[in-house]
Amino acid sequence: MTTAQITDEAQRQLARTFDVEQVVDGDRLTIERLREEVKREEDPEFASMGEAIRSDLSGKVDTELLDEQLEELSDQFERLPEVRERGIPEGDREPESLYRELADPGWEIYEHLLEIDFFESLEANLPRFTPEHIEGTAHELIGSDELTAELEALGFDEQERIALVMDVTNNNDRLARWVPTKEIPADVEFGVEHVPPLHQRAAGGTLLWIDSLDVHLWQNRVLVTDEILDDASWDVKALLGGFYLLAQAALEIGREEGLTDSQLTAAITAGAAITIVNQEEICKNVFWITEEMRAPSEAR
Amino acid sequence: MSLEEDRAVQAAKDTVVRETDQGFRVLGSPDKSVTHQHDVDRIEEFDVTNEMIQESGDNPEAWLTYGGNYEQHRRTTADVITPDNVADLEVEYILDVGAGSSMEGTPLIVPGDPPIMYQSNGPNHVKAIDAREGDILWSYTYAVPSDVVLCCDDNNRGVAAYGDKVFMTTLDSGVVALDRYTGEEVWHTSTADHEEGYSATWAPIAYDGMIFTGSAGGEYGVRGFHKALDAETGDELWHTWTSPETEWVGDSINQSCATNWMNATVDVEQRRLYLPIGNPGPDFDGSVRPGPNRNSCGTLALDMDTGERLWTHQEVAHDVWDYDSAAPRVLIRDMEIEHRNTTKDVVVSAGKTAWLYTMDTETGELIERSEPGVQQLNMYRMIPHIDEGRRMPFMPGAMGGNDWQPPAYNPETGLMYTKMNNSPQEAWWRFEEYEEGKKYWGGILEDETEAVPDEYNGKISAIVAINPETGERVWRDWIESDAYIWGGMVTTETGVVFTGTQNGDFIAYDGESGDRLWEYDLGEASIAGSPMSWYDPETEKQYVAIQVGGSGWLRRGAGGRDTRLAVFSLSE
Repeated sequence: MTTAQITDEAQRQLARTFDVEQVVDGDRLTIERLREEVKREEDPEFASMGEAIRSDLSGKVDTELLDEQLEELSDQFERLPEVRERGIPEGDREPESLYRELADPGWEIYEHLLEIDFFESLEANLPRFTPEHIEGTAHELIGSDELTAELEALGFDEQERIALVMDVTNNNDRLARWVPTKEIPADVEFGVEHVPPLHQRAAGGTLLWIDSLDVHLWQNRVLVTDEILDDASWDVKALLGGFYLLAQAALEIGREEGLTDSQLTAAITAGAAITIVNQEEICKNVFWITEEMRAPSEAR
Repeated sequence: MSLEEDRAVQAAKDTVVRETDQGFRVLGSPDKSVTHQHDVDRIEEFDVTNEMIQESGDNPEAWLTYGGNYEQHRRTTADVITPDNVADLEVEYILDVGAGSSMEGTPLIVPGDPPIMYQSNGPNHVKAIDAREGDILWSYTYAVPSDVVLCCDDNNRGVAAYGDKVFMTTLDSGVVALDRYTGEEVWHTSTADHEEGYSATWAPIAYDGMIFTGSAGGEYGVRGFHKALDAETGDELWHTWTSPETEWVGDSINQSCATNWMNATVDVEQRRLYLPIGNPGPDFDGSVRPGPNRNSCGTLALDMDTGERLWTHQEVAHDVWDYDSAAPRVLIRDMEIEHRNTTKDVVVSAGKTAWLYTMDTETGELIERSEPGVQQLNMYRMIPHIDEGRRMPFMPGAMGGNDWQPPAYNPETGLMYTKMNNSPQEAWWRFEEYEEGKKYWGGILEDETEAVPDEYNGKISAIVAINPETGERVWRDWIESDAYIWGGMVTTETGVVFTGTQNGDFIAYDGESGDRLWEYDLGEASIAGSPMSWYDPETEKQYVAIQVGGSGWLRRGAGGRDTRLAVFSLSE
């Protein structure tokens, strides 16, 4: 199974975000080292956003359902090595459900979040991905034992957790392009009623990409290489990791315990950022198969 | 009777097509549709049957459906013209059709004495012609509403013949049925509201009492569909959205596009349709339509009796380059696939990506993806956001590769012949105002690029032969010009391939080698039409017909308008 690829430049960028010094090529940053640099002061703006979301959704979250489906989702992380080993789904006339199973608990969660207007609340209470908001999110994420421990419990090793943090911190420009529907400028609006809230796009897009892998890999097996499958494996893991953070935040709202309001905001923002960045990654790594990437033709 | 006295021709001539910021508008169309009859008694009265159309591909005297046969091979069994004698081909007649608008069509031939040609062009103008003499027998112009907006000109690519009627799609997203003998209107059915951005430009397909028709408007935020209509009455038999709600996030489905703007390939044995499907909407801003947008930019197979979706094969997930997969699919029966030691029915797509995709008709499984027909430079690189101030020319551009232009397949050579563009374009994504019925691109497309990729060979287009079994590119003839290449191909059982170019040349190739065997200079206008061919037993000649004239979106003056139908012939 592949792991996240981390370049030296990406590490240097991460180090700059956290004011960590002396990162030399080949040196590996750790969550622990970053945490040493983070001030544990609660950001009042973050806390206020988290509080507003809690207030909107108070009493609406079905904690039993989310608890159960997050457990199911957690089980799906354990299936990832097996899924990678199988690589391409079997099936004579259509692919078996291999990757789709990974997303099944996610769909249950997504449907519930739709029912309780979770995404509408995020749309109303959270800002767009500004560099400041992203930086604040990164600090909360790193500063929170709870959030990074969740990722570790799901099977993200040190390097993978760093890679997810980098998804948040190193992609200001990419994330800034995904704008909350409410902030599409007045003079350049779409038919806004047809554009889903930003965090719904992040969550729903994640599940659609994973669902599509079965048929994509099965129909296009003549193009697929081990490298593509390795990339798919990591991209799916990262997508599910981001989705898990979002869903975990929803559960925490229902439980009214655990994460602070600031951490809640950070979990939601980090989760969405990770899903957005990795949607673009899975496009490039797995779906847009160029002539250079494809498996050699057996016919010529 | 002269063209000046033909009221339908005059109505078409009085219609003005104007390019605006929102696309092409059709102005000055008649208030009511106009039929003008000339010598209609020359048209023999008999029904065009399923059997006749099914045998059309093997009948040298017929061209009864858009692609020559239901499998869309664009190959004639007329065998008078061969590689050895094609140099003797001569002009039989050049007919001025009178209405000099978009000329992207393929005429039909209903065999008989005389053979009757049904020929159409923009703006929704169709004629019955004595194909032997070149005389107009009736003509018809549809009353196109003045508020129709079209992305890419007032195109009409042909008609369907079935029973005692001919069927033409109308620019306001409809189908009109005309009496085949008189040109009089029998029924018109609107398939969608043109004020929402829908339109229709393709030749419909007729089979077993049904008329199959799709949807256009992929630059206007519509939702793509395919429909079957009752050939007799125009009543809707079924309607299928190309994309299901489950493949899109929330309400983004409502402006998902994925239109089906070229016609269906009919599998009469399996009672299936294979549809080409276009870009997702909006074209360039993918952030408001996350996910692969699965049923866009690929092939969709439907049950022809119910419209049920059977499978889809996507060529470009989450497209942001306007990589429609628009060209009609080619159905090849019993293709021997040596490297898999098997024989299968396959369906082949020539996409804007410049690859040919050979797929299993049962499942959509990719059997082979070909070598690229033209250059792929900066391909699949994410287009920049407008705020970045960065430029990134990519190839193929949004014109392809192979856009709508129908390829030909010759079972004798085992090769597919395609026309591909080879030119960089640039695109940016940004927020864009959306109003119903107006362009919904979510960005900008620029075909006058500031720079070109270093490796670009500077040749704007090519005619390419590719083996769909192995994916091998067998030959390629680069066509240099200032304008894009457009229009389709025809091939003969004897191994000749005909096509026109944007430079006004009509060319015959040796299908095996790609050698040019014959050329005819039809002037400066582009040839955007698709040629076809038939044999007339009375005259003992084989004919090849091509509509001459450009159409919109060809860049730099559209290669010029023209009004001619050129017919060439060779005696036995």
